[in-house]
Amino acid sequence: YVLFKPVKSTFSRLASLVKELIEMLALSRTQKLPQPGEDTQVLELLVQRDKEFQELMQTAVEQGRIHQEMQQLEKEAEKRDSDIQLLQKQLKEAEHILATAVYQAKEKLKSIEKARKGSISSEEIIKYAHRISASNAVCAPLNWVPGDPRRPYPTDLEMRSGMLGHMSNLPTNGVNGHLPGDALAAGRLPDVLTPQYPWQSSDVSMGMLPPHHGNDFGLEPPGHNKENEDDVEAMSTDSSSSSSDSD
Amino acid sequence: QMAGVLETEEQARNRFQSELEFVQCLANPNYLNFLAQRGFLREKPFVNYLKYLLYWKEPEYAKFLKYPHCLHMLELLQYEHFRKELVNAQCAKFIDEQQILHWQHYSRKRTRLQQALAEQQQQQQQAAPPHGNPASK
Repeated sequence: YVLFKPVKSTFSRLASLVKELIEMLALSRTQKLPQPGEDTQVLELLVQRDKEFQELMQTAVEQGRIHQEMQQLEKEAEKRDSDIQLLQKQLKEAEHILATAVYQAKEKLKSIEKARKGSISSEEIIKYAHRISASNAVCAPLNWVPGDPRRPYPTDLEMRSGMLGHMSNLPTNGVNGHLPGDALAAGRLPDVLTPQYPWQSSDVSMGMLPPHHGNDFGLEPPGHNKENEDDVEAMSTDSSSSSSDSD
Repeated sequence: QMAGVLETEEQARNRFQSELEFVQCLANPNYLNFLAQRGFLREKPFVNYLKYLLYWKEPEYAKFLKYPHCLHMLELLQYEHFRKELVNAQCAKFIDEQQILHWQHYSRKRTRLQQALAEQQQQQQQAAPPHGNPASK
């Protein structure tokens, strides 16, 4: 308590005054008063001290009350603090959940966009699957044995029978070594003589145009790096824009 | 707009056809060996042309390819090391053999599956009890 010391000192002073007064009174019984006004003085001092003491006691009571109020307010503040902390925790949790949800939603959107970009009609895929399997281009015929001239690539004969073959002289040194005569001699596959070479049935590709290229390939293409394919895209873009020029 | 070659639509269409044929020829390792031995794979313009041909990887062009193996060869041809190796006939022969083995992969797999299925059916028939179908009409 703040007032403890002043209360204590006032009380002790009061106590000593009372003691002095009692001594004087006791003395005045046995002998005549040396100073006539002294007892009045002491009495007056006593009254004053008592008044001071009473005032101090009032203040002490008041302080005690205030102290109690303070303690109560402190308790309430503590409660509010813990409430706020709880809210804070809940907010943090909610934020975390929301952030996760938003992130996952974004990822989902990304993959949707990716799927949409690569979307292709099932009809086209089936058509293509037909084309490459009917010609045994990616899967060997089930009855294939060594000696069969069929291959997963265009053979010498096919190359010569195509557009390129008619444009220029392809070598006839049998790089592939498989000519119809071989199969015939082996007694297999009589239909090799009149095959339907893939690029002769190109009615579908009639309207298709290749990408435009401005130079004769003697010059370096921009950002050329032999081991790096990243910049190839520059060459293969705007395939449709160049074809619309002649419209 | 690139300056330079002005071609008619018919010329462009022909170019499409010839490029379609040529890129598919690249699926033939023997043809690649032939090109390598005659020095084509060392010429800069040719190498640039091979890079240009990569447009066949795009779906709108790839759908015209009958021999998709050519795309893999085309990718390999972008590497100088591969182009150099193709001069060796042994190398080309090895590629040819591996390619044919790979080509046979699905037929072999299918044959195995059919065999497995046949065996399974055989086992089921043997295990089936001799009395008739209790769930008949």
